[in-house]
Amino acid sequence: MKPVPDPSARLAISVSVNGRPTERTVESRKLLADFLREDANLTGTHLGCEHGVCGACTVLVDGQPVRSCIMLAVQADRTEVTTVEGIIPEGGLSPMQQAFKEHHGLQCGFCTPGFLMTLAGVDPGEYPDEESIRVLLAGNLCRCTGYEGIVNAVMAAWGGER
Amino acid sequence: MTTRPSYVGADVARVEDDRLLSGRTRFVADVSRPGMLEAAFYRSPLPHALIEGVDAGESLRLGRVEGVFTADDMTDVSPFPDFDEYARPVRIFPLARGKVRYAGAPIAVVVAPDRYLAEDARDLLTVDLQPLDTVASVDEALAGGAPLLYPDWPDNVVIDFPVNNPEAQAEFDRPRTLTVRGRYEIGRHSGVPMETRGVVAEFHEGRLTVWTSTQFPHIARSMLSYCLPLDENDIRVIVPDVGGGFGVKAEFYVEEVTIPWLAMKLGRPIRWIEDRREHLVATCHARDLVLDLEVAMDGGGRIRAVRGMAIQDLGAAEMYPYGFSPAFTAIGHITGPYRIPHQSVGLLAVATNKTPCGAYRGFGIPEAAFAIERLIDKGAARLGIDRADIRRRNLIGQDDLPYTTSAGAVVDSGSHREAFEETTRLTSRRTEHWRSRLESCRRIRVGSGVVNYLEGVTPSYFMTTGHWTAYDSCSLRINPDGTVVVSVGVSTSGQGLESMLVTLAAETLGVRRDQVRVVMGDTDLTPYGLGSWGSRSTNVASGALRIASDRLLGKAFRIAAHLLEASPEDLEVYDGAFTVKGSPGPSVTWQQVATAAGIRTVDLPEGVEPGLEATATYEPPGIEHFPDEFGRVNAAATYTNACHAAIVSVDVGTGQVRVLEYVVAHDCGTVINPRIVRGQVVGGVVQGIGGALLEKFHYDEWANPLSTSFLDYHLPSTTEIPGMVVLHFESPAPEMPWGAKGAGEAGIIGPAPAIAAAVEDALSGMGIAEVARTPITPPYVLELIRSAGG
Repeated sequence: MKPVPDPSARLAISVSVNGRPTERTVESRKLLADFLREDANLTGTHLGCEHGVCGACTVLVDGQPVRSCIMLAVQADRTEVTTVEGIIPEGGLSPMQQAFKEHHGLQCGFCTPGFLMTLAGVDPGEYPDEESIRVLLAGNLCRCTGYEGIVNAVMAAWGGER
Repeated sequence: MTTRPSYVGADVARVEDDRLLSGRTRFVADVSRPGMLEAAFYRSPLPHALIEGVDAGESLRLGRVEGVFTADDMTDVSPFPDFDEYARPVRIFPLARGKVRYAGAPIAVVVAPDRYLAEDARDLLTVDLQPLDTVASVDEALAGGAPLLYPDWPDNVVIDFPVNNPEAQAEFDRPRTLTVRGRYEIGRHSGVPMETRGVVAEFHEGRLTVWTSTQFPHIARSMLSYCLPLDENDIRVIVPDVGGGFGVKAEFYVEEVTIPWLAMKLGRPIRWIEDRREHLVATCHARDLVLDLEVAMDGGGRIRAVRGMAIQDLGAAEMYPYGFSPAFTAIGHITGPYRIPHQSVGLLAVATNKTPCGAYRGFGIPEAAFAIERLIDKGAARLGIDRADIRRRNLIGQDDLPYTTSAGAVVDSGSHREAFEETTRLTSRRTEHWRSRLESCRRIRVGSGVVNYLEGVTPSYFMTTGHWTAYDSCSLRINPDGTVVVSVGVSTSGQGLESMLVTLAAETLGVRRDQVRVVMGDTDLTPYGLGSWGSRSTNVASGALRIASDRLLGKAFRIAAHLLEASPEDLEVYDGAFTVKGSPGPSVTWQQVATAAGIRTVDLPEGVEPGLEATATYEPPGIEHFPDEFGRVNAAATYTNACHAAIVSVDVGTGQVRVLEYVVAHDCGTVINPRIVRGQVVGGVVQGIGGALLEKFHYDEWANPLSTSFLDYHLPSTTEIPGMVVLHFESPAPEMPWGAKGAGEAGIIGPAPAIAAAVEDALSGMGIAEVARTPITPPYVLELIRSAGG
């Protein structure tokens, strides 16, 4: 019988996190979310379910939204990862963040980074109306807002761009 | 004279949002301490078993494991205090002692340098459990010879509170009385915040610091002091950002003792962050209440009395402080805003081998509203009266106020009829719109339901705990530069309390909003208070703030008058400056006044001491803490009212119910920030829709939990949520500061009865039996249709 590879074996990885080269040695089993939170000290990425359903931990890997709770850090080797900390302009909020604020698209703020990253990873042109935006966001759970403010915020922010 | 704009009622964005939007938050999982270890709990896989032994040998051989602990090690810990005289003592202990009563109960805790290792070691424990026969339902719990959860009890009854009010019973014996009976069940579901629970603890130089995701920091400290050999002085509880509470974090949990105990035992900081699977079995469940009720009506549909029983499946009953309290609150709200002169409703609360029940937003009121609204619809059908007309005949009107309900609630203000008429008009128009729009879909039927309710806000805590009453506190401190620190005993879990307090402090003190900083959730920095639950925070914190600011302003006016060489009575303060009323003349700023009080004390008038600080408590008037022999008590400060309407489609082929549109007319008195109130209402409605259609903790027949991930426990997402109309009514509470009531829980109360009524309306003519339970799932709808022969 082949020996089971040790999940706690450590591997060296090199990840660009929010544009900053980050080289660490991590256990092969370490989740990308834990790598970002513990090794890169970026705690804006939140874990809501750790089984890929709630979307709170969404980050961008090479520009694509992924759930960092069901991806291993070693799988992100030689990629560019963007977290919520990476999409804030100097000294203010992005237009989407500003729209969330204006439309009361957040209450406790725990799920919010996941919504923002899902939105950051798509082309607004592909979501022309409320229905398509609702479908896009159906993979992110929010327990406070009832989604109304979130959907209104996205329509306002993207409406402005179109 | 200029007219001052008021901050109260202004529709403005929240002050906390910039931080929350940018990832600069600090939730409990983000708290990290030097040398910190992580803990993982071994939880019982069996619903009912004796613990024969825990063998940690293999775990410890893993290396780097700092320790494995069980109840046997916690010899210096006291069990939780027990409820009040009504209930059998449960004596909750942090780790299970001798036996487990639900799957998910913590038996052992493992500590290691990181969570991965702690979980590895946890999975290597050998725990010897001897299975016992299980109790999976109220009926099984009450059956003769049922297995006993608590062997020293004669049965599985936690609380038996029969009520026999002869005045109510007499109404049922009157001639020409129509009696209508029903048995209504709200299924087991819960708050399920997006952030799970978590605790970090550090013991240093004889002092314990605990970071915990809770709704009541000061009560958590009192509980820690009760359970651990420490004075309250030796404990600091810090509540970081909280990712939603909804009541489930207004319980004090065993992990909140175990983790601090480990920090003391090992002399190292310890962190435990609950995972979602743990959350779904170890954080309190809620509802799971049956209301078996009967109403007596006259021939015109006027209800004369209601009688019956609330029957609660409490699960294992190991939950502090709530447990059975929502059932009492349900009984207290059973009449809703209807003139039902007499009631006689008792409670039977029973232990079963399921996760213990506790608090969830709404706290018994959704259950009460479901039952009484369903009975009213049933009565209307029996009498052949329109559903709206029967409500008109029973609703409290302005002429009735103040009105004391048959449960003892004193309703002093509200818009019960107005909200109902407005909602009914709008809903019938919108229902016609949807009917014509979906006319061509042969399998789709459209219906609507309109319901009303009252919500007692700022409830008596004594009724629940036998401790405390209903007060809270506020401390105001003016810094020498004129900025203001507001520290309060309430504690936010995302509702917007910081914005509310900034608004009210600016309003009362006449400072700019950006001069105010709010401190909450830290027992070292805030005065003792009871926390945030029961839609109480606006009410109690604003009351305490108003008293503290009145005290502080008296002194500030004296100082300002001295500096202006004017008389204090002639001054007013606004936008950071004191001026002579009606005069465009000279002014002094808050900064000048504060500097005189704090630094340039030579500028103080004679006899005025340095410093500008005031602390006040506020206990809302009129709350009663002891029920009479029939359970009647005015257990809340005031009563928010609302009318809800759901317009639904039902697919008669699949049983699928969709909410097409939802209408709310809401009245929480004076609105401090309409944006925040709307957010509370809409968020509550969506949680209510979840409970009405989707969410349920399922168990198998042996009480094994089946809903242990988000694949099995369905939360509403963007695609299940209808468009919503929210109409605001404002009937200020005459006795409350600013006239504000509470808005935190109201949204969640209406959806279950409104959707149930709408489903019945959609299926009218098919001869179905009533919709009598939630969640209203496709199989349930199909069962109703099939039983009707449809």
